[in-house]
Amino acid sequence: MGFKEYVGKRILQGIVTVMLAITLNFILFRIMPGDPTQAMVGDPRMDPETRIALIAKFGLDKPLLEQFVLYLYNLFSGELGVSFVQIGRPVMDIIFGRKLINTVILMGSSMFLAFALGIIVGVIAAWKHGTKVDMSSIVFSLVTYSMPVFWFGMLLLLLLSYYINVVPIAGTVTPGVAHANFFEYASDYLHHLIAPLITLAVSFFGGYFLFMRDTILDVFTEDYMLTARAKGLSDRKILFKHAMRNALLPMVSIMGVHLTFLISGATMTETVFSWDGLGRLIYDSVRDADYPVLQGIFLMMAILVVVASLCADITCAYLDPRIKEAAE
Amino acid sequence: MTLDAQTTSGALLRERVSSHATRVKGFWTIYKGSRIGMVGVSLVLAFIIIAFVAPWLAPYHPRALVGTPFLPPTEEHLLGTDQVGRDIYSELLWGTRISLMVGLLASAFAVAIGTTIGLLSGYYRGPLDSVLMRITDLFITLPALPFMLILAALLGRNIWNIIFVIAITGWTGTARMVRSQTLSIKERPYVEAARSIGARGSQIVIRHILPNVFPLVFANAIIGIVDAILAESGISFLGLGDPTQPSWGMILYYANKAGALATGRWWFIIPPGVCIMLVAIGFAFSSYSLDQILNPRLRKRRW
Amino acid sequence: MPILEVRDLSTHYFTLQGPVEAVDGVSFTVDAGQTFGLAGESGCGKTTVALSIMGLLPSNGRVMGGQITLDEEDLVKKDESELKKIRWTKISMIFQGAMNALNPVINVGEQIAEVILEKEEKVTKAEAWERVRELYELVELETSRVKDFPHEFSGGMRQRVMIAMALACYPKLVISDEPITALDVIVQNQILNLMKNLQKKLNLSQILITHDLSVIAETSDKVGIMYAGKLVEYADATSIFKRPLHPYTTALIGAYPSIVGEKRTLNFIPGAPPNLISPPKGCRFHPRCPYAKNICSTEQPGYLEKEAEHFVACHFVDELRNIPGLEDR
Repeated sequence: MGFKEYVGKRILQGIVTVMLAITLNFILFRIMPGDPTQAMVGDPRMDPETRIALIAKFGLDKPLLEQFVLYLYNLFSGELGVSFVQIGRPVMDIIFGRKLINTVILMGSSMFLAFALGIIVGVIAAWKHGTKVDMSSIVFSLVTYSMPVFWFGMLLLLLLSYYINVVPIAGTVTPGVAHANFFEYASDYLHHLIAPLITLAVSFFGGYFLFMRDTILDVFTEDYMLTARAKGLSDRKILFKHAMRNALLPMVSIMGVHLTFLISGATMTETVFSWDGLGRLIYDSVRDADYPVLQGIFLMMAILVVVASLCADITCAYLDPRIKEAAE
Repeated sequence: MTLDAQTTSGALLRERVSSHATRVKGFWTIYKGSRIGMVGVSLVLAFIIIAFVAPWLAPYHPRALVGTPFLPPTEEHLLGTDQVGRDIYSELLWGTRISLMVGLLASAFAVAIGTTIGLLSGYYRGPLDSVLMRITDLFITLPALPFMLILAALLGRNIWNIIFVIAITGWTGTARMVRSQTLSIKERPYVEAARSIGARGSQIVIRHILPNVFPLVFANAIIGIVDAILAESGISFLGLGDPTQPSWGMILYYANKAGALATGRWWFIIPPGVCIMLVAIGFAFSSYSLDQILNPRLRKRRW
Repeated sequence: MPILEVRDLSTHYFTLQGPVEAVDGVSFTVDAGQTFGLAGESGCGKTTVALSIMGLLPSNGRVMGGQITLDEEDLVKKDESELKKIRWTKISMIFQGAMNALNPVINVGEQIAEVILEKEEKVTKAEAWERVRELYELVELETSRVKDFPHEFSGGMRQRVMIAMALACYPKLVISDEPITALDVIVQNQILNLMKNLQKKLNLSQILITHDLSVIAETSDKVGIMYAGKLVEYADATSIFKRPLHPYTTALIGAYPSIVGEKRTLNFIPGAPPNLISPPKGCRFHPRCPYAKNICSTEQPGYLEKEAEHFVACHFVDELRNIPGLEDR
């Protein structure tokens, strides 16, 4: 099928998935034992005015189906509810602010690092498969994959913060310090970013490495690789031009799904390092039973993942000339 | 059945079993050659043994308060004591049972769900396939840990809930793989032949497709154990573990809560994590070796 | 004047079940401007011979003995970096089933230009692409399609691309491994004619590997018949087809229908090629040979020059010469 048709089909699938996620979200928080929304209304922390307003807004005294419709309506007008913990503060506010930025920076940089290293080392290991370089990379990857992310974070903190004070113990910036300018702020921020970044990047490197290595080895069995060798091209050209371009396609396609693993990893890392991001917000919300916030984050993440995976698939289709050109 | 038919089917069965046995033996010979694989299997066996003999190996009962809290490693307490005075070494030994149990069961359930969905989807195709695939997509896009946390919080801090929660987020990989395998096996001549002589769908699935899908499903199951053990420790670390079943993750939860990091109580932090890591490595190494041997793509080499 | 001389080449593959003697004691010469046709069933080792010459054996393959002489140098003794210099500049290769032999994500012109730019230092990018267009014309492809991708071409056109690519650095020798097997019959003819014309025009030498004897008959000057890793007969084309001396050759020729003359029953060769991990003792063909005697199962026949420049490996060449049916066709 042509490129445009493919894109259209994928977008449709994405929309269906998002709709399902929204529905699941609703069901989760209404139907589960200990109905949280009913609990919200009965929550002693809430004052009567807000309570009445909430009941009206979310139709909590109406039948379930009507509640669902109301929920959808609220959703599409950007209304995600109000936090229990930070009484009255809209969930939208809490999520789409500082915390989002912090998480994006942490997740983005670690994903980039893990991905880049994973690709390069994966290619080299595949090229030298069977040698010590290869085997030690594999062992390293399997070992880091087997380490609990949060424990690795704790180890790093123990080592780098407690024993040798190279890295701060927690937070995104040193608390209580007023920074003179942006540059100072940025360097303090980066100083705090190092340990969580290493934790996440090392933990995810293994997965990317193994997948890339597998994919390249697969590519090596293709006929066109024999042709490339027969032409007497340099090793670098054979590897990075001929092999890698083909191997990158499957890699990109899994990136979207990998986001979910990254979110899980970020949750744990942010908790260990007290990094003020969405991951820690999840943890805090679960601990404090702040259901509206949880619901909001959850939904946002689901949408994010669908969008990311859609982008990954479309990028793949775009890069692969076979799909792009068909029916044009 | 006549006597003849009985003896024949008995003979056929014996033959089938013995040919299976030879294949398994041949497989084991190849597997033995992989150093990574052997290290993996040894670790797994070691921990399984520890899980069984923990009661005899542990000097104290894991829940008993036997000493002053926060003691560093001494002769009496090889790995010190935790925040209320329990012996960490004993806790670790007993914790093996929980980690293994959760790991094995959660992975088994996840694989069972995934295989069923994959088979149904791949074999029957059509609207069933679309629906199942959309559901699979949905579960793939759910971030595992947050989802598990929410479910655990809603369902309660119980070990079976944890197993359920891990299984319900972990089946998607298997489902996709089984589905694609089923699609390709379905096209093979012997399946077509079976269909043409009137074999029913369920028969074909069970007798032809399942055995062929099994090796890769098995490899998937093993790596699923790694994910399950790590997931359980994560959930426990974040405070949603079962307080009546103290796993290694729970020990780390208490360690974190009691500020072990800030006070440098490394014996509280390092050993539990090492245990988790070693068990996970055991299964990860085994899974890697299995995959190398069983995966057909990896056999054709050009270089 | 020989371009390439292969003497006593032996190549083995090392597998879990043991070493596979894929090529054993093969010798032949390719002269300038000539085509050497290497024929035999699938799995007889012909491709392995080609890979051995180019040094492209997989990691479990190794040349165990013999010499491959090109320009007075023994290719067997060369290491990978030296071989890289020779590849494509002196010898190039056209692979079978060009379906997958071209990288699907790189445009075709680029795949040709890259080897020109890699091998010839003084050539600029513009000059390289100019040559790509010239090569396109040589193989009768539209030059407007230089930037197209492999999947945009039909099978026959892809093979033309492969030919153009093989000629990019003006090699002396081209090895073609089943160049037309994957194409339909009419296209086969077109490509074959194209190759013949190009060879004449550019004074190329060629090793043509195929199982299709009719192709050999149409194109080759000298012919080698391989069976189970051994060269069983080697002579010029006319002699092979008119006076075949080895029972296998005779059987192969007999397996081809002729559209002229009387209808006759096609002969086929019963049995299957042997397992090369443990090849049969003595003559490797003896299990399937209708004329085999005791000695054939114990002693390997010598590779002897039975007539002028006509080599055969069979114990009973002289006796079989006079059997009816093996006369001139």
